Amino acid sequence: MSGFVSRGFKGRRRPAEQATRLPPGQYAERGFPVLSAGPTPRVDLADWRLKVEGLVARPQEWTWKEAQALPASSFEGDIHCVTRWSKLGTSFGGVSVDTLLEAAEPLPEASHAVAFCYGGYTTNLPLDDLQGGKAWVVWEHEDAPLPAEHGGPARLLVPHLYFWKSAKWLAGLRLLDHDAPGFWESLGYHNHGDPWREERYWGD
Amino acid sequence: MGRLSWRLADVVEVRPETGRVVTLALAVPDWDGHRPGQHVDVRLTAEDGYQAERAYSIASAPDGSRVELAVERLEDGEVSPYLAGELRKGDQLELRGPVGGYFVWEPDRGGPLLLVGGGSGVVPLMAMLRQRAADGSNVPARLLYSSRDLGDVIFREELERLEAAGDGLTVTYALTRAQPAGWTGYARRVDAVMLEEVGWPPGERPLAYVCGPTRLVEAVAGHLVALGHDPSRVRTERFGPTGVP
Amino acid sequence: MTMDETDLRLDGNGVAGMLAEVFGFEMTVCWGCCAGCGASNQLGAMLVYAHGMGAVACCPACGQHLLRIARGEGRWWLDLRGLAWLQLDEQARMAG
Repeated sequence: MSGFVSRGFKGRRRPAEQATRLPPGQYAERGFPVLSAGPTPRVDLADWRLKVEGLVARPQEWTWKEAQALPASSFEGDIHCVTRWSKLGTSFGGVSVDTLLEAAEPLPEASHAVAFCYGGYTTNLPLDDLQGGKAWVVWEHEDAPLPAEHGGPARLLVPHLYFWKSAKWLAGLRLLDHDAPGFWESLGYHNHGDPWREERYWGD
Repeated sequence: MGRLSWRLADVVEVRPETGRVVTLALAVPDWDGHRPGQHVDVRLTAEDGYQAERAYSIASAPDGSRVELAVERLEDGEVSPYLAGELRKGDQLELRGPVGGYFVWEPDRGGPLLLVGGGSGVVPLMAMLRQRAADGSNVPARLLYSSRDLGDVIFREELERLEAAGDGLTVTYALTRAQPAGWTGYARRVDAVMLEEVGWPPGERPLAYVCGPTRLVEAVAGHLVALGHDPSRVRTERFGPTGVP
Repeated sequence: MTMDETDLRLDGNGVAGMLAEVFGFEMTVCWGCCAGCGASNQLGAMLVYAHGMGAVACCPACGQHLLRIARGEGRWWLDLRGLAWLQLDEQARMAG
């Protein structure tokens, strides 16, 4: 029905002054939509573990207490969902993935990682996208504990890529010498997911 | 069955039902009819091309090219404040359907009929009751309608009229948050005891249709099965969370 | 309001429009057989997690994925590995 416009409909977007911070095709969103592709896993903090395994010299496993004791790191900035909403000026707290990788010592042949999660979700990333201050494991959002519906106890945060890469209910990272498409990447979504190059779908 | 293409419907009437709910009466060109319980997809397009889509159950029984939707305005909603606030007679609305043949009841399916609705979950059930009345059917029917308070009950006067017709329909309300002075009805959420008191025993093999917020639907369906009802005779339509766009 | 899967979960009705668009049939009345546990159900009974990126539909008997569907601009992707078979009824075919 090309050309039809619903008189007076604006939706929830923010005014155009935010436009310069937005990657192409995105709209600024006030809230923080909960998008669920499965049941919310319930993880007892006593049982929670965070692992770094695979092509590493020293596989790591942290308990909740141990993870909390790692050097704190936080992110403040914008996040972008492939469904076109962006949340500007939000903040998360946790630990830098660099800290986790330093402890594990990736082997020279490690080129990629898969983030695996409680509940079975996976997403894949080049190791480069997890290093150099670009990624975190976070358990706080805007100074409060990360709620379960947003991925708590802890989620991966990779804000320079579309938000499906910031895997909820993170259980660990597995380092590989090859790319292994995850849940959405094996269902038509782009393997890399850079919002600034609009890498939304396979073939983009 | 319905059609796949998006069509423009004309808004012929916007009628408030409760403080939060509005009936939209639409004239849909070339509408092939629908079956009670089905829904349509509605699509809104902003001037910059941004689109939002939602599904709404059809409230009316089949009636030529006329289709009625009942929309609850959700506080932080994106679509419902537009439909139940901005849209007016003379506007057009893009829609597609009808779809949802699974959650359909027509009088020739027989009964007895148990309808359990929470909040706006009563909308597709209303289409079923309106069809039942239009057909002059006296398939025994019981509606158990859970609502926050009496003011939130949609179609209240019409339900009273349908019940007063004496053709085998009873309507029971469960008012979960506030009740009027002197209320002797249920003042709590639907539970197994209530379903047993209001519904039919499993031996009567009723057809049950449960619609509303997911939590309510799953609890009720679970209770019905636990009470001994045949799961294949319990149909559900989950609306997802309440109060969330 | 704290939400969990109980609140967000839908059923086959919740993806009726999307499935009709893809298959050209009214899918909620069509039957599917779970490749995991062998249970057959009308697709209206599937437990569905619908997401802006796509949807996952699960077997009401065993909870395993029956199908995954993603929609992008002008394209759909389908993973039907969770279905042993899908029955499309001629009576359920939709007009254009």
